[in-house]
Formats: sequence, C-alpha cells, structure tokens
Amino acid sequence: MKFREHMTRLRFFVSRRANKQLRDIDEELKFHLEEASRFYVAAGKTDRDAWRQALIDFGAATYTREETYRQRPGWLLETLLQDIRYALRGFRRGPAFSLTVIATLALAIGATTAVFSVVDRILFRSLPYADADRLVSVGLTAPIIPQEFLLGGSYFVWRDNQKPFESLTSETGVEACDLTEHNPARLSCASVEGSFLPTLGISPILGRNFLPEEDRPNGPSVALISYSLWQSHYGLDSGILNRLITIDGHSVRVIGVLPKDFEMPALEAADVVRPQALDESEQRKADPGRVMYAFARLKPGITISQAKAQLQPVFNYSLSLAPAPFRKEVHLRVRSVRDRQIEDVRLMAWVLLGSVIAVLSIACANVTSLMMARGSSRNRELAVRAALGASRVRIVRQTMTEALLLSLAGAIAGCGLAEILLQIAVAIAPAGLPFLNKAQLDARIVLFAVMTALLCGILFGLGTALQTPRASALSARSMGSASNAALRRALVVGQIAVSMLLLSASMLLLRSFWNLQRQNLGLQSSGVASVSIALGTQHYDTREKQMQFFLRSEAALRRLPGVRAVGVSDSLPPGGEHHDQIYSVIEVPGRPRPVSGTGGMVAWRWVTPEYFKALDIHILEGRNFTEQDRTSSDHLLVMSQALAARLFVNEDPIGRSIRPTPNDPFYTVIGVATDVKNAGLSGVDEPEFYRLRRDVAEDWSQDSVLTVETSLAATAITPWIRSQIAQIDGTVPVEIESMSERVNKLADRPRFETALLSFFASTGLIMALIGIYGVTSFMAARRKPEIGVRMALGANRVDILRLILREGMSLLIMGGLLGLCGSLLLTQLLKSLLFNIGPRDPVTLTCVALLLAVVVLVAILIPARKAMRVDPCEALRCE
Amino acid sequence: MAANHTSDLLQGTLDVLILKTLALEPMHGWGVALRIQQLSKEALQIGQGSLYPALHRLEYRGWIQSEWANSENNRRAKFYSLTMAGKRQLEAELENWDRMAEAIALVLGRRQAAL
Repeated sequence: MKFREHMTRLRFFVSRRANKQLRDIDEELKFHLEEASRFYVAAGKTDRDAWRQALIDFGAATYTREETYRQRPGWLLETLLQDIRYALRGFRRGPAFSLTVIATLALAIGATTAVFSVVDRILFRSLPYADADRLVSVGLTAPIIPQEFLLGGSYFVWRDNQKPFESLTSETGVEACDLTEHNPARLSCASVEGSFLPTLGISPILGRNFLPEEDRPNGPSVALISYSLWQSHYGLDSGILNRLITIDGHSVRVIGVLPKDFEMPALEAADVVRPQALDESEQRKADPGRVMYAFARLKPGITISQAKAQLQPVFNYSLSLAPAPFRKEVHLRVRSVRDRQIEDVRLMAWVLLGSVIAVLSIACANVTSLMMARGSSRNRELAVRAALGASRVRIVRQTMTEALLLSLAGAIAGCGLAEILLQIAVAIAPAGLPFLNKAQLDARIVLFAVMTALLCGILFGLGTALQTPRASALSARSMGSASNAALRRALVVGQIAVSMLLLSASMLLLRSFWNLQRQNLGLQSSGVASVSIALGTQHYDTREKQMQFFLRSEAALRRLPGVRAVGVSDSLPPGGEHHDQIYSVIEVPGRPRPVSGTGGMVAWRWVTPEYFKALDIHILEGRNFTEQDRTSSDHLLVMSQALAARLFVNEDPIGRSIRPTPNDPFYTVIGVATDVKNAGLSGVDEPEFYRLRRDVAEDWSQDSVLTVETSLAATAITPWIRSQIAQIDGTVPVEIESMSERVNKLADRPRFETALLSFFASTGLIMALIGIYGVTSFMAARRKPEIGVRMALGANRVDILRLILREGMSLLIMGGLLGLCGSLLLTQLLKSLLFNIGPRDPVTLTCVALLLAVVVLVAILIPARKAMRVDPCEALRCE
Repeated sequence: MAANHTSDLLQGTLDVLILKTLALEPMHGWGVALRIQQLSKEALQIGQGSLYPALHRLEYRGWIQSEWANSENNRRAKFYSLTMAGKRQLEAELENWDRMAEAIALVLGRRQAAL
C-alpha cells in the first residue's frame, strides 16, 4: 500500500517535470512563431499571411517539439521505462502467452545450466596441477590390468632413456592403512616416487617434498599428509611438522602438508602420501617387478603422438621382456591425465550436453514461434502505431524490450530451477561419478545462462521486429505474411525431428536398462544379507587371527534364528571385485601349454561350502564342497560352466586335476556350477572358479564377506548381525547390505543416465507438442474466413478436418523422417552405453515413431476439431 | 526569407555557429536564427527542426545556460547565454575548424592543380 503510494507520487513528480519541460518548449516555439510573424508584418504582409508564412517556414512543429524534448539526458531511460510498462501491461493482458514463454525458457535454461554445471566439472575443469595440459599418463596396456601401467623391470629403463618428457615419475598405488593413534582412523596411503610432486607441479603448503634419501629402501620413514587429514586430526596446527604419527603401528615423521586441492592424477583418495622406496637395482633385475603407474610432463611443444613415436625404443624393450605368447596383446598408451580421469564418463557427459542443447534448441524454436504468432496477431496494433507516427526504430525497440524482458524473467526462473535440478541430480547420482558432488552453479555458468537468454531474446525480438507493419495490415485482411508461416512450419519440422532424436536415445537407454534389470544374474539376491568386514592390521596381524575372527563370526551368525545358510568368501559377485588371472597359465596335466595369447582373464574367489547355498548357485555336475572338506588337506575346486566348457571340451571335468597358476598346488575339480555375472551388470563375464576356503590360516585374508541367507526381513536381521559381530570384537567396522541393494547399486549409474535422458526427452517432447499445437491452431485460425467460404459453398465438416489435418500431417511426416535419419546416424554414439540392444534397434525406433505420431496427431486434432466447428456465418461476417 | 541560395550545413557546424553567435550576447532562439542568417548574408538558413534540439542539447551539455526574461517587445522569452565551459568549447571548436578548413582547402587546391 505504502509502496504503491510512493510509486504513484514518484510517477506524478516525474510526469509533472516532463510536462513542465514540454510546456516550456511549447512556449519557446510559440515565441519563435510570433517573432517570425512580426518579422513578416514588418516586411509588409497582413497579419494572417504573416502568421501563415511563419508556420510554413517553421515546418513540422510536432516533430521539432519532440526532437527538442528528446535531447533530455533522461529520455532513453524514460522511453525504456515506458516500453517496460507497456510490455508489462501487455503481459498482464495475455498471461497465458507470457507464462508459456517464461516457463519454456526457464525449463530450457534451467536444464542447460544444471547439466552444464555438471559437465563442466567433468570435461572442462582445470586440473590442480601446474601446466596440466602437458601432463600425461604413460604405460602399457594388457588384458591383466585395466589401466596403463609399467613394471618395475622396465620402468627405470624408460625413465633413464625416454626422450619426449621433461620428467617421468611413478606411483605404486593407494592402499588402505590405519592411523593407530589416540584417534584411530582408516586412511588411504599412496606410495609415490620422490619426483612425483615436482613432476605434477605440486608444492606442499607446509613443509617440504621428499628428499632423495627418503625414497630409498630402509630410508627414513616420512610422509606428507593431506589438508583434510591435517584439518580433521590435527586442527590445522602447524606444529604437525616433524611430528611422529603412527601408521599401521609404525612411527612416521610428517614432513609436510599437501595443498587443499591436491588429488592423485588417477583420482584415488589419498590421506597420506609416502615415498614408495623401491629398491631400484632389485627392480631392474626383477621379472616382472612391481606394478607402477607412470605420469610424465611433456617437453614444451611435444605432442602426445610425437611422444608416442619417440617412446617406441623403450616400448620395444618392455615388449622383449614380456612372455612371447602375450606380446600381441601388449600396447603402448600415452594420454592426457584428463583423459585418464574421465575416460568412462566422457561419453555420458557429451551425450548429456548434446541432449540438453537439443532441448534448448527446441525451446528456442518454440519461443520464436510463439513470439512470431503474437507478432502477427499484433500486426494491426503495430500498423496503427506506425501510422500515428511511431518510428521504425521505436517499434523495434519496443518489441525488443518485450523479448528481453521475457528472456530475462526466463533466465532468473531458469537459474532457480537449475539450482533445484542440480540438488536433485546430486542427491540421486550414484557414488563414483567423479566431481558430481562438487558441481555447483558458479558465476561463469550463470553468465552463460543469462547470455543464452539474451541471445534468445534478441533472436525472438528480431523475429518479431522484422515483420514490417504495413499499411495493409490496417485493413485487417491479411494476418501474418506467408514467409513467416513457412519459417514457423520449418521450426516445427525441426522440433519434431529433434524430439524424435531425443526420444530414440532415451528409449534405447530405457530398454537397455530394462534388459540390465531383467537379466539372469545366476544368483539369488532376495533374502540374502551381505556382511562386509575389513580387519585392521593392528589387531589382526596374522592370517591365523584373521581366520579365527571369521570362523567365530560364521558360527555366531549361524546360530541366529531364521538363518538358513552362512557363506564366507573374500569377494562377492556380480560387481567386478574378485581375483583375476590369465587363462593360459592354467595347467592341465598331460596337455601342452598354449603357445600364443593370454586367453583373456579368469576370475576366482575363496569360498566356504555354504556360499553356493546362500546365493543359490546351482551345482550342475559333481558335488559342492562339504563341511568335512574344510578340515581335509585336499585342494578342491569348483568351476563355472563357462570355464569347464572351455577347459574341458567334450571331456568330463569332474575329478580332473588342474593347477591355476605355476605358484599353486594342483587342485581337484569336484563340481561345475552355473555361470554367475561377475563383471558388473553390463560387463562381459569372465569364466570363474572357486577355491575351497579350508580351516587353514593360509586360505584367509584381512577382508571377507559373509553371505547370510535368511527368512527374516533385512531390517530385523541387521541389528542381530551387528550385535553378534560386536560381541566378538566391538571395534571392527561392519557394513551390512542386502544382496538386492548391492545389485541395485550396480544399476545406479545406468539408472541415473536413463532418468536424466528420459527427463530431457520428455521435456523436449512436451515443448515440441506445444509448438505443433500452437502452429496448427494458428494456421487454423488464419484460415477461418477461408473455412467459412468453403462451408458456405458446401464443404462438410470432414472436408474441413481433412484440410487442417493434412497440413499438420505433412509437418509430422517431414519432421519424423528427418528425426529418423538423425537417429540412425547419431544413436551409434550411444553404443557403448547400451546393454543387449543395438543402437539401431528397429523395434525401439518403430515404437518411438508411433508414439511421436500419436501424440502429435492429438496435438493437431484439437485445433482441427475447433476449425471443424467454425460457424460459416460468423466466419464470413469476420471477412 | 528565400530558401534558394542556402547551402546545407556541414555536420556538426551548427553547434559552433550557435556558440559563436551566443558569444556576442545572450539571445533567444529566434534571435540566434536571425543573426546567423544575417551574418551569413542569407546564405545559411537554420531550420527550426534542428535549431531548437541543438540549443537544448548544448544546454544539457552545460555549454550554454538559459533563463526566461522579457524580450525587446516585452514578451517572455527564453534567453540563452554562453557558460565558461561553452567559451572553452568555442575556442576548441574554432581551432578545430581552422585546422579542418585548412586541410580541406589543401585537398581541394591540390585537386584543382591536378585538373
């Protein structure tokens, strides 16, 4: 109330001032006229003639008056305010139009901004290293290790003889370690070469880097700690320097603190960084030596492919060390650190970016089309304004103001929406998608959104402003020009095509996800709880102690009511955790060794007899392990159907003896089990075998999973399991999950991808529907007089329906065909994201085409029916 | 006030003409128009469509100031006069004009010689 009062007062003040100014101008001009007329009177003319001559001399008085008034410095602002007021009044008159435009823009800008925030972190963020563009990851690829690696036997030869790098450094991986102090914690400890931090261009924010003598065997035990560890455990106390901390029971001197943004180049978590202290001369002789991950800094001006070429000699050396049969499967790989970090999310990131741009373009087309429709319905108004003396510039400015106001409102709403979408995305995103949790709207991205909006605004504004108001518009005969109609039709065709593309992609992902969920895992996941326990090395430093703990836990869980079986294994399918070995090293007595190739990988795990029962994995031939076997000294083994079929073609595997690797004893095959998914939900399964975990210390390790088959609900059994384990040792961390949760978690990533893409596809589709509905209604309205004439001349309603439908259908068919071609071309890119479905799956594409056809038809039918009901009398009167 | 022998004003010269005219004495718009016409021996005729916008523009720039006073016929009129800033501006414009006139003369002279 108060505000409004002030506004009114202000307005009066402004307008009074403006009015006074105009009055002054009027008086000044009047004085001029009077003087001029006196001049003529003095020259001998009559009063009337003199006045007339003065007026003629003066010319267009109104023009002069306005031109003079325009010199006011505030004039631009004043007209801008006027334009804004006018635009707002217009929006209020037709709220449906303005709300549609703002909502469309907000949705598009919101989605774009949110996705861009996520994708930006993945694809375009700056790495926390100096000159990160020159950092590369170098190594060999072979089936045994998924990422490029080097072996101790050749790494030092590479380091000493390489040419393309300023420096080459290595890390030997990150392992779990325990901080065994007053405030114990499980940490991640990375082992790196002394030159690691200087090569990456990282300097500790406190303290110093490793000295050469600290990176030698039996050198002083030192460590750098991460900023977050410094913060959480040592309260950012700079007294941490040179303090001794206890890691895994050993004293380690802290020599520095890493920067806040430090991260390992392969993105492993690292709380403590220690020198790897490899014995160089021993490694040089070793075969194959330690697995190492090498990173290097390219010399300035050297490209990755040049580096690759220059590395050939050392690569050949490494190749000569590899066993002859494997050489064909070993390759050289040099790629940027960024590529190594994002390799498995890169495609998804681009797909997301692409789909969001598709949605944005549909939205822009929609808004342009809406603005043009509005523009042509306002043709008369603009013509009237032009006839009343509004200049072309003034009209363009007015329409531009409207467009910019709308897009600005859209941008603001869009930023709000983006924040919400981002929160949702972060909340539902699966663990392990890098950087997503750090995604946020930053100034750059908001600027991007606003720029997009302004660009859209200028585009729409131009679209409208270019419709010249012609005098003919005053006669109300023509509504909108033909070229506009063609442009709008083209826009609709484009929208349909892009929606078809989006729909195909999301439908493919949906069906792939469906396949993923419905596939046979080879094990039962309901009614099974998995209990993962990782023992610390401080209290459980021997295998004997570890075995005792797990045996006692097994017995305790068996005693629980409702428990039918308890299996103990060192890993669980269907995720990718298991031991791996090369197929070709499996030795079958009486058979020659294969001469070439590794034969791929074979998975294996340690299991107790009830493992098969708990997970309901069937034994097809032979028998399962028994409880008696656990105390025998025999080495027994059960293999999967796939391995049996490969290893013993047309032979009976039962009773045969095999040696999995040269370091193992011979095992007797006693059974063949059904295949179980063991490389994640979508990975290619490996053949697998199971070693019996006997009650012998050497069969046990720190980490185990107990699988508990139970008839009780998970919520009921979880606390019981916890209390049972706590009775044995209360300090051991226990992670309990139902098997179905575990499996579900594996599907998180595809679920997330599918959900996102489906969201974009449905958004795009809805917008395209709004677009085609709008265009058809507009066309139908435009043809109203024509329809009236046709009806008066005897056309019946079906003819009219056909008339309108034909127009819509031609757009649909053109758009659909274009979309189909696009889909055939582009869905190819999704190939690696799809599971058990081809990127050109005909069923999917047909479904999409049908779906699109049906919904678009509905969108056309509504205005067509309206046109059909036109009253010819009324339509003709309009004419 | 025959419009036969008038020549179009060069872009931007109107301002300096007004400043120069007002440098003599404070004057109203009609007076300015008349004075320019007389001084130029009827060669320059200022259209009111550009004179008044120019006067207002110069006023907003702070080069001239205005006040309402009685004219010689006892009629209320708006009188314009030069401010200090206006005087400086006039100096600058005159200098500028000299330079330009010289340059143009040079160019035209050369062209004549070539012909």
